[in-house]
Amino acid sequence: MTSLTSAHEAAPSAVTDERIIAPEPPPARSGRRKRAGGLTPYMLLVPSVAVLAAIIGWPLIQLFIMSFQDFGRAQVFGAPAPFIGLDNYAKILIDEAFWQVLLRSFAFCAVCVVATMILGTLIALMMMRLGRFFRLLLSVGLLLAWAMPALTATIVWGWIFDTDYGVVNNVLVNAFGLDFVQHSWLINPLSFFFVAAIIVIWGAVPFVAFTVYAGLTQVPDEVLEASQLDGANSFARFRLIIYPYLKSIFLVVIILQVIWDLRVFTQIFALQGIGGIKDQTNTLGTYIYQVSIGTGQYGIGGAIAVITVIIMMAISLYYVRQSIKDEEL
Amino acid sequence: MKKLPLVALGAVAVLALAGCAAGTNAASGEDAGDGAEIRVWLVGTDTPDAAREYLKTTFEEGNPGSTLTIEEQSWTGLVDKLTTNLSGSDSPDVVEVGNTQASAFTSAGAFLDLTDKYEALGGDDLLPGFVEAGTYDDKFYAAPLYSGARLVFYNKEAATAAGLGVPATLDEYIAGGEALAAANPGKSGIWWPGQDWYNALPYIWENGGEIAVPDGEEWDAQLSSAESMAGLEQVQQVMTTASAAPKDGQETNPQVGFCDGTTLQLSAPSWVKWSILAPADAETPGCPEQEANLGVYALPGIDGGAAQVFAGGSNVAVSAKSAHPELATKALEIILSDEFQTIYGENGLVPAKLSLASTLGTDEVALATTEAAGNAKLTPASPKWADVEASGLLTDLFVKIAQGGDVEQLATEADEKIESILNG
Repeated sequence: MTSLTSAHEAAPSAVTDERIIAPEPPPARSGRRKRAGGLTPYMLLVPSVAVLAAIIGWPLIQLFIMSFQDFGRAQVFGAPAPFIGLDNYAKILIDEAFWQVLLRSFAFCAVCVVATMILGTLIALMMMRLGRFFRLLLSVGLLLAWAMPALTATIVWGWIFDTDYGVVNNVLVNAFGLDFVQHSWLINPLSFFFVAAIIVIWGAVPFVAFTVYAGLTQVPDEVLEASQLDGANSFARFRLIIYPYLKSIFLVVIILQVIWDLRVFTQIFALQGIGGIKDQTNTLGTYIYQVSIGTGQYGIGGAIAVITVIIMMAISLYYVRQSIKDEEL
Repeated sequence: MKKLPLVALGAVAVLALAGCAAGTNAASGEDAGDGAEIRVWLVGTDTPDAAREYLKTTFEEGNPGSTLTIEEQSWTGLVDKLTTNLSGSDSPDVVEVGNTQASAFTSAGAFLDLTDKYEALGGDDLLPGFVEAGTYDDKFYAAPLYSGARLVFYNKEAATAAGLGVPATLDEYIAGGEALAAANPGKSGIWWPGQDWYNALPYIWENGGEIAVPDGEEWDAQLSSAESMAGLEQVQQVMTTASAAPKDGQETNPQVGFCDGTTLQLSAPSWVKWSILAPADAETPGCPEQEANLGVYALPGIDGGAAQVFAGGSNVAVSAKSAHPELATKALEIILSDEFQTIYGENGLVPAKLSLASTLGTDEVALATTEAAGNAKLTPASPKWADVEASGLLTDLFVKIAQGGDVEQLATEADEKIESILNG
């Protein structure tokens, strides 16, 4: 049917008497139609939002309220909690210990994330080149490391670095003749975080390796082959072809690692029990625990936790914005 | 395509793990139907198996249909664990708590008021210091469970080889420890890991110092007083010259070093004897063949006699949130019965009742225990003292002292922190 109502002018065609008419552009205001089915997606969201609100939202609100209260152990058992305004926040912000903990957490996080990303990516690249058998072997090994609970891993690593009976000291003394008799790995804060970083990185590399590997399998072989013919060496191929393809994967993984490593708790907490000095090795997670549950100052601990939540949300927000930007491109 | 199974495997593993994590977090609520289940929290391995067995069978015979489960907790992080569990809906019914920690909970209303049971539980026969620790606002919340004394255990062969006898004064003890360490390079003349702050208290007290003294409504921390400092200097001397233990180590499992011969002498709670003499195939093996070689005496004071040692021990209470307070109280009555407490005495722990002191027996350990318990002393009686312990500032302090830090500066810093918690 010839559309006589079309606003477009008919273009001439090679066929006699035929006029090619451009299709009608979609109506500009499709708002009504969207609204018709509009409730369904929201209804589908309800269950997950309800679950999130119950298990994350409610405690978060409680935490927020608590951070403005004088909340001690008596309040845990039911005594009324008086509101004290911003006192808890004021106490934290002038406390030197808090800033040291914050700085320490960021530094530790930075080292762990960089090391995890580099190691994970290298392992993923290696998996691309390995034969079937060794790739399977490596995958199983990675999965086992990923499957090991952080607490178990920390205790095992703690034994490896034990002062009296640890295998590391034993090897350094007996195989290399170094003076590591009864060397305490945890007493010096830097060395403590060296051990902690090994445990955290060891636990996090499998996730990065698997994710990057999954991404690598999606990079088209033709493009890589073409660039190879053009004379690109392997580093140039990674930088100019693989990296742009995997950019969004790297972004997601880095952000997740930053958040995980910033709020690291189990490994540091368990390691502090084995050795080391607590007030020189606290990170955000263990500091909140020590202040709130250890010394019973739940209000102050709550305020530190709120500040931590805000920092984490800022990082997540950056991630969400970046991923929306990527979608728009 | 062939990569797909791998990714799928990974996804399955991740999901499975997420499932595990959720599973372990879920509190295990129990509902025993008609018969109630009473949960008793005992802390550490101090309570002998015979006593546990006696409690369970006696309770279940006396209350048919109900069961009693003993759940063993660790001393590390106990205050945190009790705070979260006693306030929750899944509270244990009867709990053991360290005597210095008790007031944190009696003052917070975490325990059931036992004032009208006081006479039935033993009345004035109960250990007075522990009754005081379990009393708040003239109400009786937590009964004594047992008291431990700290004793010095030593390797007799090594002491004889170094020409040492039982020291008569604290100075002789320190000198003896140093001599043992010097004669046996790489071994501990007095084994003392840095986190073990309980052992430092006699040095402070014997020199006339205190941790903190009441000052009107407030507490005045005393670690940096001249007397306390003299004690802390001695602590540092022992830790650096006589001890080869890790400077940041914990005092758990002292039997390991004693059994492999690297610890020649150590100060520890009296029940450590049983850790050392545990069968070689036990879960935490000891070395029973060393029995003849294991010597013991009470830590000597600065002017001779027994030193003022830390009166470690436990109180036991019924949770205010217990679902079966009456049954829980019955279990508590069994725990304070003469039969149950006698088992403690026979195993080298001071029973909760004065009249049962004779059950300790008359061997070397018993005599030393009685001597040490007679001169035992407590930490500051503040409800917030438990927070000082839980904050870890004392373990940090002694780890730094063991490292050879400046005692005056460390003591001054610690005093500030102790005051900020006790007066905060």
